[in-house]
Parts: sequence; C-alpha cells; structure tokens
Amino acid sequence: MEFDKDSLLKLGKLSKIKIDEDKLSSLSTDLGSILKFIDRLQSIETDNVDPTSNSLDQSLVMRDDIASDENSAKEILENAPEKELDFFSVPKVIE
Amino acid sequence: MKVGLNLIEASELLAKNEVSSTELTKIYLDNIKKGEKLNCYNTVSSEEALKEAEDSDKRRKEEKSRSRFDGIPIGIKDLFCTKNIKTTASSKILSNFVPTYESTVSQNCINAGLISLGKLNCDEFAMGSTNKTSHFGSVINPWKSSNSDAHLVPGGSSGGSAAAVAADLCIASLGTDTGGSIRQPASFTGTVGLKPTYGRVSRWGIVAFASSLDQAGPITKTVEDAAALFEIISGHDSKDSTSSIKQKENFYDNLNSSVKGMKIGIPKEFKSDDLPNSTQKAWDDCKKLLQENGAELIDISLPHTMDALPTYYIIAPAEASSNLARYDGVKYGIRENGKNLIDMYEETRSTGFGDEVKRRILIGTYVLSSGYYDAYYIKAQKVRSLIKSDYNEAFKKVDAILTPSTPSTAFEIDNEPKDPVQTYLNDIFTVPVNLAGIPAISIPFANDENNLPIGLQLITNSFEEQKLLNIAKNVQDTINYTPNLDKWWIK
Repeated sequence: MEFDKDSLLKLGKLSKIKIDEDKLSSLSTDLGSILKFIDRLQSIETDNVDPTSNSLDQSLVMRDDIASDENSAKEILENAPEKELDFFSVPKVIE
Repeated sequence: MKVGLNLIEASELLAKNEVSSTELTKIYLDNIKKGEKLNCYNTVSSEEALKEAEDSDKRRKEEKSRSRFDGIPIGIKDLFCTKNIKTTASSKILSNFVPTYESTVSQNCINAGLISLGKLNCDEFAMGSTNKTSHFGSVINPWKSSNSDAHLVPGGSSGGSAAAVAADLCIASLGTDTGGSIRQPASFTGTVGLKPTYGRVSRWGIVAFASSLDQAGPITKTVEDAAALFEIISGHDSKDSTSSIKQKENFYDNLNSSVKGMKIGIPKEFKSDDLPNSTQKAWDDCKKLLQENGAELIDISLPHTMDALPTYYIIAPAEASSNLARYDGVKYGIRENGKNLIDMYEETRSTGFGDEVKRRILIGTYVLSSGYYDAYYIKAQKVRSLIKSDYNEAFKKVDAILTPSTPSTAFEIDNEPKDPVQTYLNDIFTVPVNLAGIPAISIPFANDENNLPIGLQLITNSFEEQKLLNIAKNVQDTINYTPNLDKWWIK
C-alpha cells in the first residue's frame, strides 16, 4: 500500500499537524505498513452485520436536570495559555 | 515491618495500630526516592500525601475512618485528572495542565480514604505497549533477565502503574486499559491487572483515548487487592453517559475461590507455534491445575480473533483523532505561536504530540475521511460485532476463557522493532476483550527461563467480574507465586 507525499500532506492539513519534509518518507512507510495491516478486514464478509459502536447493552441514561456550580469560567480559564477578560484569546482571525 | 505490603496486609496493620498512615506514607515516599531510576512517577505529591495521611490518622483515632483501607498510599496513572495536581497524560502538550476538578475514580479513592502518592508515568495519551512513547522518558521494568543486564520495558500503557506496584513504590495503583494497557504491563511485571466490563467504572475525568474502549482498573499484588480496589472505584456515575446502572457489588467480601464444576474454555485461535515454550507450558500447567481443582476444560473457537487487531487499529485511532482534536493551544496545555490561528493550531500540535500519537491521529483522520469512512470505520464496527458475537456464543458453553496474557515476556527497551505494526502485535491477546467490552484479568503464573514473569489471562462475560476474580483467586492460591525480584535499583 502506497502513501504518497501529497495525500500525506493533505492528511496533515486535515489533522492540523505539520509534517516536516525530513519526516515525510519515514512517516509514509509507517502509515503504509499500518494501512496494509488494517486492509486485512476488507476480505471479511459483513453484508448482514450491524455495526457496533459501543459494547454496553444499555440505552443512554439521562441525569436529573439540576443546576450545579462546578467548572466555573474562572476555574476553566486558569489553564488557558492566553486569556482576556472572561474569554480564551487566540490570534486574530479576520484580516 | 515486612516490605512489599499489599492492600489487605496494610489495612490489617493499620487496624491493629501497628503502623500509622503517616509512617506508611513516609516509607513509600522513601521507596519512591530510592527508585527514581525506574522513572515510574511523573509527579510525586509528597506534601499533599503527608497532609492526607495525617488527616487519615486523625480519623482513625476518632473512629471515623472512611473505609478499612483509609490511609493506604496508592499511585495513580497520569491520565486521571486530579484536582490541583498536574495531569499530563505523559504528553508535552499537557505538560503544564493542572486540573481544577477530580476524576470520579480518584474521587472514589479519596472517599475511601486512600492516599495518592503521585501520578504514574505511562505511554503518551495511553498509546503504546512499551511505555517508550512517554514525553518524560521510558519507565524501566524492575525485573531483569537472569542472563543480561539490559533494561526491560514494563509494558504499557500503564507501565508506571505496574512497575510501581512490582517495585513497592506504592501499595496498589490505578491504570486504564484500552487494548491491554492494564493486563500487558501487569503480565510483564508479575502483578495482577484487572480490566473491568465497559461501563463498570466511570470514565469521567480520565483523559480520553478511545472512548468506546477505555476502562479504568486496578493493578495490584494480589487478586484480593484487585477485588478490593475494583470495589472502591466501580459504580454508576451520572457524569458518564456510558456508565452502567448496575448496582455496585461487594467483590472483596464475596470472594470464593472454588472452581468446582466450572467450565473453562480454551480457544484454539490463541494457540500458536510462535508462542515461547515457557508461556505454552504455563498455559498448559494452568489448564491442568484448574482441572485438578474441579473445573472442566472445553475446547472452543473464537473465529475472529485474528481480525481483532486490525479492527482495533481502525476504531481506536478514529476515536483518538476525534478526542485529541481538543488539544489546540486554546483551552489548556501548551501553545506555540503561529502566523495566524490555523498556523498556531498546527505548530502547537506538531510540537506538543509525539510520533506515535501523530501516527494514530493521522490514521484515525484517514479512516474517518470522506470516501474511506464506510470502507474502514463502518467495516471495523461491523467486524467488532462479529468479535462480540464470538464471545457471546462462547459464553453459552463456558464460564470463563483461559489464554496467555501476552505473546512474550518483557523485552529490552532498546530492542523495539522499527515497524509500528510489529509493536502492535504485543496486544494480540488482550485487544479482543476491549472490543467485546467484557472483563479480563492478568495474573502472574510462573517465571520463564530468564526469570521473567509470565502472565495468564482469564476472561468472563460482561459483569461477571466476581466469577473472574474467584477463578483468579483459585489459581493464585494453588500456585502461590512469589515474585523473587532482586531490587537492583537500590544498590
């Protein structure tokens, strides 16, 4: 299974991970090897099989709608790399 | 005082006032200092632990202990959020993260009076089976081969949790298991590791890796300890939407080691010519032992066993790529500057994540991307159904399944194969259990010809942990395995 340079760079863009030029070749080999490995599933007959997303045989439980004062904005912002007033701060988006 | 106490022994000493929590905590903090070479802890919270111990001693004096385990020092995998104590997931991207809340599991431990000595090293975001992917360096297995001085991996991802219990750097520990991350390191270190049924233990406040597979559990010296710690951490939690509503059980008090009349399944798909002779022998010896103790052996088939690993390496990275999207340099963790917002995201994630995490995010993004979603992700979910149904069928015939925990014993840190797929094969015996959502335990059974521990795995149907622990106790009590560990790191 080939993993060409362009699709790898595209994947990096989608994942928001910068891929250095000098890592392209080794990463392509690694991902190619993993893809070849997972491709094994294609030969399994699954026509009448339903997918399992979660192994718990239980429908989602709703919790009581009671207000709590956990996780205040002030607490949450303590870990923000940059903040202004009561907000997370990021580099300018609109030019 | 005897070194290498387990949870039950420590609770008895505390009850008899033969030791105080403060004394016990000091002993273990001292052990941690002497064992620094092993690199088990990312953070040691000495001050907090001693303060907690003092409070525990006060409670005991006033007969207000929170449980019989009040005052016992444990270690916590650095994946559980702990209030005001750094929680890094062994990643650079979270290297400065101090949670403002406590995970349900660690809160349950606090409610029982257990004392946290600190946060245990693990593979980055729990992705690995060697502990080598940690940003803070490899954990070193306290075990060494009798014919080499080389350092060995402790297994992973809960490598620090397993090594710390084996080396007496805590009395018991908490780990998490997504594809074998409790059982494989337990097997490599001669400890007991329990992966509970999916939903038994709350995932709230645990740094998420693959949400449909992640489950927390204990790593301990004995099956009794595993039952006790499991009992403490389990139970319904309204903060986790996949938490089971089943009642909490008294796993420790209800331990009963009889296996008379039980049917033990031996799956033919786990047999392999590649299995080391010593592991095969341990497996055979255990079959014989169970038979002698009154159980019946039954040959079974789990036809999709070999499909489990490729299925796992689609589902786990897919869920991880989604879960790890939250690390963007905005809300917590480190930020690297960029020319604009997108550039900042990319710089932060490229600097903050290690190679294995990046590989899994890329693979996960690939299998979820338009055009491949059905061919990979949905396909894997369908094969997951087949794997689950294999086990459902098997448990119509047997009470439990016995297999080796790992295809080899611990290997050299510097001897890891270059191809990531070769490393993934470490989890070949443990991964199917996570996909099926059922419980399993790894217990030490014997040592191989190089004096390294061999673990065996027992598996039962969903929510049958009591039966699982009972059979494990039967095996443990019959073989009486004592780890003959040479504490080379103290010398």
